[in-house]
Amino acid sequence: MRGWLAVALLLLAAAPAPAAAHHVGAYVPRDNEVSANFKQIKFSIQARKFDVAARLYETGPIRTAIRAQAARLPAGLEETTRAALAAGDGARAERGLVVFFAALIRDLALEADRRLADTREPASARAATGQKLLEAIWRYYNLVDFTVGQYDPKAAVAVRLAFDEAEGYAQGSPGPGTTVAPESRRVTPRPVAAPAPDKMREPVQRIAGTMSGLIETSMTR
Amino acid sequence: MTPPPADAWRRPPLPTLVAAILLIACAEVGGASMTKFKLELARAARAVMLSRPAVHGLVGVRDVDEQIIDEALVKFDAGLRLFHLHAEGMGLVIIATTMTAATLVQSAGARRVIILLLTVGGAGYPFGYLLWSALIPYYGIQTGKTVAEWTMWIPFGGATIVAAWWLVALVGARLVRRA
Repeated sequence: MRGWLAVALLLLAAAPAPAAAHHVGAYVPRDNEVSANFKQIKFSIQARKFDVAARLYETGPIRTAIRAQAARLPAGLEETTRAALAAGDGARAERGLVVFFAALIRDLALEADRRLADTREPASARAATGQKLLEAIWRYYNLVDFTVGQYDPKAAVAVRLAFDEAEGYAQGSPGPGTTVAPESRRVTPRPVAAPAPDKMREPVQRIAGTMSGLIETSMTR
Repeated sequence: MTPPPADAWRRPPLPTLVAAILLIACAEVGGASMTKFKLELARAARAVMLSRPAVHGLVGVRDVDEQIIDEALVKFDAGLRLFHLHAEGMGLVIIATTMTAATLVQSAGARRVIILLLTVGGAGYPFGYLLWSALIPYYGIQTGKTVAEWTMWIPFGGATIVAAWWLVALVGARLVRRA
């Protein structure tokens, strides 16, 4: 009896050790204060709780950021968005928020272009920086993709295509014999290619241009 | 003085017990400290990370860097939590397994080696998490993990695994012989 008890205890003790050897936790990216505030306002608008949305906007980091970046944003964006929320006009308020995010994305894309053009850095470092900026662009664009698609479907498609293209150049092509599609789809493998920061610039510039156009049309509509 | 009954459990050597209890005490102090000084630790780690932008791949754009720093801080905190968790657990594992070895392993040589491996391996392994946490702000998540793996987790964890399975084999063989 004592022997069996000992074996059971030992198995219990030994089993978790190999599993725990590489257990260092998982990281799930969190919202920053701006994206969290946007989601709160958006959900309040969707629930038609405009008083809540207005309060979240009045006291939240988005309004602070809009004020701080007023010089780079269309004139009157802050007041227009606040007035739309006060009037219970969800669509117009949401469009104001989209303009704000479009400006953030445009600025990130311009920064990415500037970094990619800086030939003092090695190509691999420029591609890595470009990739990180693309991820930040996507985090913001993902928040407003649905709304952008409703207002300006062409802009939404253009951003997605440019993003995919830039990301492809940032990561390099897959090696021979590998393919991103399942075997049955018979996609011809592309040759090996190193990350190409110079080629990333054109799609990144396209993202900046598309966002500038979106800002202009949203404010004049 | 009457001899102990044949089926009585024997206590492990005193140094082993001291090591196990000390480990549990370290776990409790670690747990209390990470709660009490959570903000201070996070601030200090953030300051070190910001002073080493190249190590962490910071690009100087807030929207990018905040995410990188957040991930490193989450892992830094996870390392402290895992130290607390493993130190508590391994302290008890050391006591249970070395008591089993002291009682059921008949060969004195094998008993000594198993107890030594269980004690050293069990006591050292959790400090790998503490080391990983300490290295993250200075060398990044991946480099810190590699160093912790090769200096702590693999040697000490390996010692525990080898000793535990050796003990399983000896106790199992004893059962088979009895049957």
